[in-house]
Amino acid sequence: MKGFIAHRLLSVLPIIFGVSLVIFVLMHLAPGDVATVLLGPQASESAKVELRHTLGLDQPLPVQYGRWLWRTSSGDLGTSIATQLPVAALVFPRFLNTLLLTVASLFLAIAIGYSAGLFAALRARSIFDRLSMTVTLLLGSTPPFWLGLMLVLLFAIRLRWLPVSGMQDMAGDGGALDVLRHLVLPAITTALGPAAIITRMVRASVADALERPHVRVARAKGLRRSTLLRRHVILNALPPVMTITGLQLGYLLGGTLLTEVVFAWPGLGSLLYDSITARDMPVVQASTLLIALTFVLVNILVDCVNVFLDPRLREG
Amino acid sequence: MLAGVLTLAPPAAQAGGTLIWGMPAETDILDPHATGGWNTYQITYQIFEGLVKEDLTKANAPTPPLVPALATSWEISSDGLIYTFKLRPGVKFHDGTAFDAAAVKFNFDRFWDENSPNFYKKAKAFVIAYTKWIKAVDVIDPMTVRITLNAPNYQWLRQGLQSYGQPLMISPASVKKYGNDGVALHPIGTGPFRFVQRDQGVKTVLERNKDYWGTPAKLDRVIFRPLQDPATRVNALENGEVQMITAPPWDEIDRLSGAGFKLSMNSNVPYINFIHLNMHFKPMQDLRVRQAINMAIDRAGIASDIYHKTGRAEYGMLSPGTDAYDPAFTSYAYDPAAARKLLAEAGYPNGFKMVFELPQYGTGEIVETWVQRDLKKIGIDVELRKFEFVTYMGKWAAGMPADVGMNEIGWGMSTPAWVGIVTRCDSAPPGGENSGWYCNKAVDALLNQAIVTRDPAQAKELYQKANRVIMNDAAYVPTIDDLQPVLLSPQVKGFVNPPEDWFDLSVVSLD
Repeated sequence: MKGFIAHRLLSVLPIIFGVSLVIFVLMHLAPGDVATVLLGPQASESAKVELRHTLGLDQPLPVQYGRWLWRTSSGDLGTSIATQLPVAALVFPRFLNTLLLTVASLFLAIAIGYSAGLFAALRARSIFDRLSMTVTLLLGSTPPFWLGLMLVLLFAIRLRWLPVSGMQDMAGDGGALDVLRHLVLPAITTALGPAAIITRMVRASVADALERPHVRVARAKGLRRSTLLRRHVILNALPPVMTITGLQLGYLLGGTLLTEVVFAWPGLGSLLYDSITARDMPVVQASTLLIALTFVLVNILVDCVNVFLDPRLREG
Repeated sequence: MLAGVLTLAPPAAQAGGTLIWGMPAETDILDPHATGGWNTYQITYQIFEGLVKEDLTKANAPTPPLVPALATSWEISSDGLIYTFKLRPGVKFHDGTAFDAAAVKFNFDRFWDENSPNFYKKAKAFVIAYTKWIKAVDVIDPMTVRITLNAPNYQWLRQGLQSYGQPLMISPASVKKYGNDGVALHPIGTGPFRFVQRDQGVKTVLERNKDYWGTPAKLDRVIFRPLQDPATRVNALENGEVQMITAPPWDEIDRLSGAGFKLSMNSNVPYINFIHLNMHFKPMQDLRVRQAINMAIDRAGIASDIYHKTGRAEYGMLSPGTDAYDPAFTSYAYDPAAARKLLAEAGYPNGFKMVFELPQYGTGEIVETWVQRDLKKIGIDVELRKFEFVTYMGKWAAGMPADVGMNEIGWGMSTPAWVGIVTRCDSAPPGGENSGWYCNKAVDALLNQAIVTRDPAQAKELYQKANRVIMNDAAYVPTIDDLQPVLLSPQVKGFVNPPEDWFDLSVVSLD
């Protein structure tokens, strides 16, 4: 097990290196000049040349990348070109906000997906089964930004139960309860798509496990239904479901970016958007790296849990 | 000549709550010398002041009058080269340090004097339209400053108040303490509001400056809140989370004003939306083609159907918010039949194909699609080529290549001299913004003459003459004046939508 984890953790390095290289190259291939952005259209050519020199943007690309890599690996993410703030001070609080939204959405998606999926599988081909499959199909195909606006219209504008946007009340500091109130609608918006996918996966996986011979034998032996489910059905159905759930985190990280715009949630998504618009390379690099790192680490975690659950994988 | 007068002692302050403003985008850094864009100026205008300011408390002025701010008066020599400013006594920066001639000199050193230890390159790049006229800055006594220009320019004072790097006064002590780059995070001026806090991407908070030298602000606090999504801005206003939104979606304006929200518009906006026609694109070199394009576009239709009357058809290249603007001026009325005829006479009876470059902007491409449809009616097949905003700005500033027919921008200033920035021969790229390579020496000569003409009435005539030449050449297609709709909660009182893109929030209060 330890060897497995070490092996997987080592594989993170080339992935992160690859992501950073791709982002770096893509950002440099994109047209648009940071000097024009920073100095405005009326700036003289000599002023722009000077600024590019100050920022090191007149160096060959491999040199620029090498410098960035060296700085980053020694823990210095640099300074944001557009805002003059240290990148770490800019990115980490935003990352935590995105993580809060993502984790809340993931828990919601798991709660909905696992319970609805299990219930549908146990009552296969019933009205509930058909209804839940239709609803999940609809929810899974609904764009989150539209869904978000509809939820706002109902719960914030019509019913006035919840706030429209932001992470907390603007006029004062509302504390944790206020953040929670602001979290409800964006979390639901982001969670419903992945919840639909998880529901379908759980249903298929549990239905499949229920049909297996050892489950039939156990049932024939008169094992109690709850024991049967716990020991023979759910445990066998879990590995594929876990993998899909882990992958949903990637979807959620991407999905929150859209939700962040609709709900003005101060996360990494809107920061990334602003930074790309301003060609603020240090912030773009740091943000994408954090997202990639989170995605890879969560998938490793899921793999480890799967190995723990399924002895066959350990031997493999 | 005495152009300014002393103002009376300020009355006592009154408490007025917190105004939250939902803005369409996050603003840039809060250093007025080192950034541009009206979006940022909407905040920095409240914190910083210049020697002179535009009076933004009058809604229906054709152009904002220049009034004393940190200078109580100024004198311009008869040759138009020497400006002598008498400074306002007793003014303190928000950090408690005194404002005087040394502070003025320090600020000019920062954005103008390359030999000064306080010089900041980035500031010079932004304030260049103002500083390129300056020859010398001298402190005469602790309350008097003299600025000498290279050449007369009677729009120079107003030029410095536009949205590209403003020569506003920053506390020298704060620059020394935080460094030139540090001003971005520690903006300390003399204005009616002082900086409290900025949470990047979430909010910027200002509070009333209790020691303000003039009439104190009525509001206790102002919170600027970026809400990118237009629907989110509308929802936040409806739900009472913000009391003011700018750039509301056009389709929602009627409904919201019907629901009790106050709609404020300004008919003297300082900018116009217009199309650059590319003189390097072969068909565009024929005057008749350019006239045909001007006649083919139904601007009144765009104003009523797309802008829902929050826009107005524009036929000239002078911004409405300037004293040279003539509301009665028209150039080419909508006449597709005449346009077709002109096109045939120019040798294009079946029209031609052309690329129209445009930026990705908050409003989508609905206006451009309308233009595309109108031009199709006279046989011109337009391909819309859309670019992400920064990419577009780079392409626009570099000038159009010969295979592009036209591009567009919304821009202007409250000085009529702005028209030269986009039309003069010497404004051609690189380094200039005449993106369509238009050049008529007669226009340059008229604008050169206008800028050295002291009498406003005579100057106005010259700017109008230049505008007529430009439109006789049909070198551009002015399309729409966006009347700057602002939606306010009913409890917001005293808001003025002036002939600028930024507002004086010190006169606003809440019920």
